[in-house]
Amino acid sequence: MMRRPVALIALCAGLVLSTQTLAAELPQRWVSAGGALSEWVSALGGEAHLVGVDTTSQHPESLKALPSVGYQRQLSAEGILSLRPDVLVGTEEMGPPPVLAQIRKAGVRVELFSSKAELDAVDENLRHLGQLLGAEQQATALATGYRQQLDGLQAEVKQAQVGQKAPGVLLLVGHAGAKPLIAGQGTAGDWLLRQAGARNLAEHQGYKNFSSEALAALDPDVVVFSDRALADEQALQALLKENPALAASRAVREQRLVSLDPTLLVGGLGPRLPATLRTLAGAFYPAAKASFAQ
Amino acid sequence: MKQRVQPRTLIVCLSLLCLLAVWLSLALGPVSLPLFDTLRAGLRLLGLPVAGDDLQQAEMILGQIRLPRTLLGLAVGAVLALSGVAMQGLFRNPLADPGLVGVAAGAAMGAAVAIVGGSWFGGMPDVLAPYLLSLCAFIGGLGVTALVYRLGRRDGQTNVATMLLAGVAMTALGGAAVGLFSYLADDATLRTLTFWNLGSLNGASYERLWPLLMVAGGVALWLPRRARALNALLLGESEARHLGIEVERLKRELVFCTALGVGAAVAAAGLIGFIGLVVPHLVRLLAGPDHRVVLPASLLAGGVLMLFADLVARLVLAPAELPIGIVTALIGAPFFLVLLIRGRS
Repeated sequence: MMRRPVALIALCAGLVLSTQTLAAELPQRWVSAGGALSEWVSALGGEAHLVGVDTTSQHPESLKALPSVGYQRQLSAEGILSLRPDVLVGTEEMGPPPVLAQIRKAGVRVELFSSKAELDAVDENLRHLGQLLGAEQQATALATGYRQQLDGLQAEVKQAQVGQKAPGVLLLVGHAGAKPLIAGQGTAGDWLLRQAGARNLAEHQGYKNFSSEALAALDPDVVVFSDRALADEQALQALLKENPALAASRAVREQRLVSLDPTLLVGGLGPRLPATLRTLAGAFYPAAKASFAQ
Repeated sequence: MKQRVQPRTLIVCLSLLCLLAVWLSLALGPVSLPLFDTLRAGLRLLGLPVAGDDLQQAEMILGQIRLPRTLLGLAVGAVLALSGVAMQGLFRNPLADPGLVGVAAGAAMGAAVAIVGGSWFGGMPDVLAPYLLSLCAFIGGLGVTALVYRLGRRDGQTNVATMLLAGVAMTALGGAAVGLFSYLADDATLRTLTFWNLGSLNGASYERLWPLLMVAGGVALWLPRRARALNALLLGESEARHLGIEVERLKRELVFCTALGVGAAVAAAGLIGFIGLVVPHLVRLLAGPDHRVVLPASLLAGGVLMLFADLVARLVLAPAELPIGIVTALIGAPFFLVLLIRGRS
């Protein structure tokens, strides 16, 4: 019981000292509301600054131990203030707006980032994060490396397409296999597929339900599935069991099924993306698999 | 239940409970403020010259976050409960709730249009954008209710049974519209819509509060004046007419009060179920069916239940928070069941 006041005094002293010695501008206590953003903060070595994250921040694993401020669109002003943050970072999806206004009024910086699936957005976000963390050089290096990785992948995909035409692919997002939603145009899933060199067979907007018959009619070459409840092999079994129509498709006959981590589909482009894209591209172009595996 | 609580005792108890709830709602939250600081900050907000340069944080949290939230909770709870009494009186049916005349369905439809449609049209004028959702919900609620009322009228008479059925049909229609919009929505707007349907007092601000407070004040002043008429209506429409009550006018007023009150409450805090159905019941189980008691007691009890539910909503998962609609049902339903079972034995 005696330790607490001592610790508190130490903490206060530490805070006073740190605000005096470090560049006074840099925020020390961070709350991050956005999965990809939290990953970038960690990648820039800022994980120690995080005092709270939202429910979409699932990576790296260690973030799950931090206090959760709820879903990014449904934040609570007092809840966030209780973590005594210096800055709240999030994408433009963050809200509701009146809560953000209250947080600003309480003197907490609210920094908005883009959640667009574009390389330029990643560059800008990293630059901004680097400034806030005082790690500009690291951020520039990360951004350049990221761009190189993705550009390199594009070149390889182009090369692979010389030997094989782009496969028609469907991305199924499901919960324990039942009634999967199909990623259509304009979704993050669609972007992923195209980056990895696939043709998305689904032409609708957003994520929609398909009938089994429509699924069978599209006859995809490859099926990418993303399951929120089950992992790889189990998810696949559940998917085939719940959707017998798929079993007749070329993808299943030729065993060309790939699983995808569903957390990659929300909150903008994150650092784990290039590796995933390589796996996908390898599955789409089996002949060039070795080159993608590097 | 044979033994009833004396009306005066009930009102006094509820008033005390209400004060307690307000105090707790101001004093508790994810940010733990020392009790003394809360008091001093409260006094400063009232304009009293209390020293305290260290109180900025406390004043901000109390004045900008907890006070508007508490007022919003009180007003929403009170209005929903009063509308519940009005509807149960109008339909002479204890199962009636404010949703029955289509207010809730209409508001949900308006909200769906605003949330999903707003993201389609994008470029709203900046002045309108923050209020679009509330405005659409309010207009939707009022519009659908007006339609239901109109459908229930024939030859200058309002047939309550027809109105009830029209309300059921319009609710189904509203459900279909909301379903269609959820189908068309993308992931992000879908989640916003889902959360809106569960209600929340989160992010209450004074600009949004004033319209609701005025409506709530109006309803709270008006409805209790009609308590005698509502009592007469309990006997039946023709009996009430013989007792000298202008039944048609009364019906119109009840529907109007409900549409206005629930519309404003829903516009400010989203759909919060259960209060309108259960609170009047609770009060009647405790104090009997006399509307002169039921109306003021429901007003207080609605506010109290709402504030306690909100305390749970904001504390139990802090720093995140639960949608309040979940909590009102979780607290209210078992409590209600216990009363029902005890009342029967």
